[in-house]
Amino acid sequence: MKSNFFQLWGWPLVLAGLTVFGLLAALTGTGIWHWLSWITLSVPVVTIVFFVSRKQAERE
Amino acid sequence: MANIKNVKRWFVVHKWTSLICTLFLLMLCVTGLPLVFYHEIEELQGKTHTAPPMPEGTPMASLDDIIRAGQQQRPNDVVRYVYWEEEEPNLVMLSMADSVNAPADVYKLVVLDARTAKVLQAPPQDRGFLYIMLKLHTDMFAGITGKLFLGLMGLLFVAAIVSGVMLYGPIMRRFNFGMIRRDRSTRLKWLDMHNLLGIVVLAWMLVVGITGVINTLADVMLAMWQSGQLAEMVAPYKDKAPVSGQLSSLESAIRTSREAAPGMEPSIVAFPGTPFTSRHHYAVFMKGTTPLTSRLIKPALIDAQTGELTDMRTMPWFVNTLFIAAPLHFGDYGGLPLKILWALFDIATIVVLISGLYLWFARGKASEARINRILQSEAVTQTALLN
Repeated sequence: MKSNFFQLWGWPLVLAGLTVFGLLAALTGTGIWHWLSWITLSVPVVTIVFFVSRKQAERE
Repeated sequence: MANIKNVKRWFVVHKWTSLICTLFLLMLCVTGLPLVFYHEIEELQGKTHTAPPMPEGTPMASLDDIIRAGQQQRPNDVVRYVYWEEEEPNLVMLSMADSVNAPADVYKLVVLDARTAKVLQAPPQDRGFLYIMLKLHTDMFAGITGKLFLGLMGLLFVAAIVSGVMLYGPIMRRFNFGMIRRDRSTRLKWLDMHNLLGIVVLAWMLVVGITGVINTLADVMLAMWQSGQLAEMVAPYKDKAPVSGQLSSLESAIRTSREAAPGMEPSIVAFPGTPFTSRHHYAVFMKGTTPLTSRLIKPALIDAQTGELTDMRTMPWFVNTLFIAAPLHFGDYGGLPLKILWALFDIATIVVLISGLYLWFARGKASEARINRILQSEAVTQTALLN
């Protein structure tokens, strides 16, 4: 039960999807699309900051 | 246990593709960092231009006057290219050289006010910091060989990313996303960092890696376009003598191109004899006006003697691919916030590269034991699943 597909790949897939969306959003539009691009591309960066700055990793 | 064999195989692929390309990739990431802010750094260095403020809707000067003003500024040079920049629509840039056949990187830039045809202060053209960064990043001062070599390194990088993803599954199967084991060994901590950062910036690394590889093929694609579509377009002029004397009006060449491509704007004009056109034509490269269509270029060939349109075509797919891929590599298409995000992704990639290198150095026997542990637990999981 620990190793179902989405527990393993859920976050990576979401982050990849957001990244691709963000990269294309700013390419295809301006204005609101730039904002959407900045917001979605911030998610991976914030994810890294969150997990790296966390005091102690949870243990399995 | 085909699965174990597979993991081992992916591990070997990951190790070797990474080992070969990591140092070059580190160089690319480090030189790429200032290049993301190319425009901003040039601004700080006082190398950019702004047109003096004038009332909105001031009419543009005739391009023929602009060319004349450029010629007066550098009487011994010829104009090779005329171009406009999106950010500064009131400026016209003339790229001049002492001969139309001069090497591509030997040129003098003359910047003019598009409304008054007045020459603005020429920018200082020292080959400073940014030039060195750019050369290292694109070809390491080794011309086309260096460029294609870096393209090959980019391909290895992509292979390293893919094999890395194939290893992420078996390694992380029993752990939560984002786990960093700080209380065990330094090596384990950095392995977790490597896995976390690698998987988080995966899509960005793939996009920038692949578009980078595409960019290294720019020269090849240009040659293909020249010998293919361009040659076809100018075929009727093959045996004619090159244009001589006074060229036809550039202003009317632009007007003709605009009429032929409604809703598009000229971005660059190649003068007769340059590599982007024939010896008889102005090539006016028209582009669309939305962020995406502005990457899709349509060259209009204007007879530089009669001023008539000879041919206009949509660029072949591979050139379009190149033009669309370029911004996805540079990160310069979404304002300063996107550039800052680009830099952060770049720094994350540097951490992935350095941690990967560290893991390889720190590996030795300890790591083999570690890999075997992973494989064993993998085997246990497999057996458990099978039963």
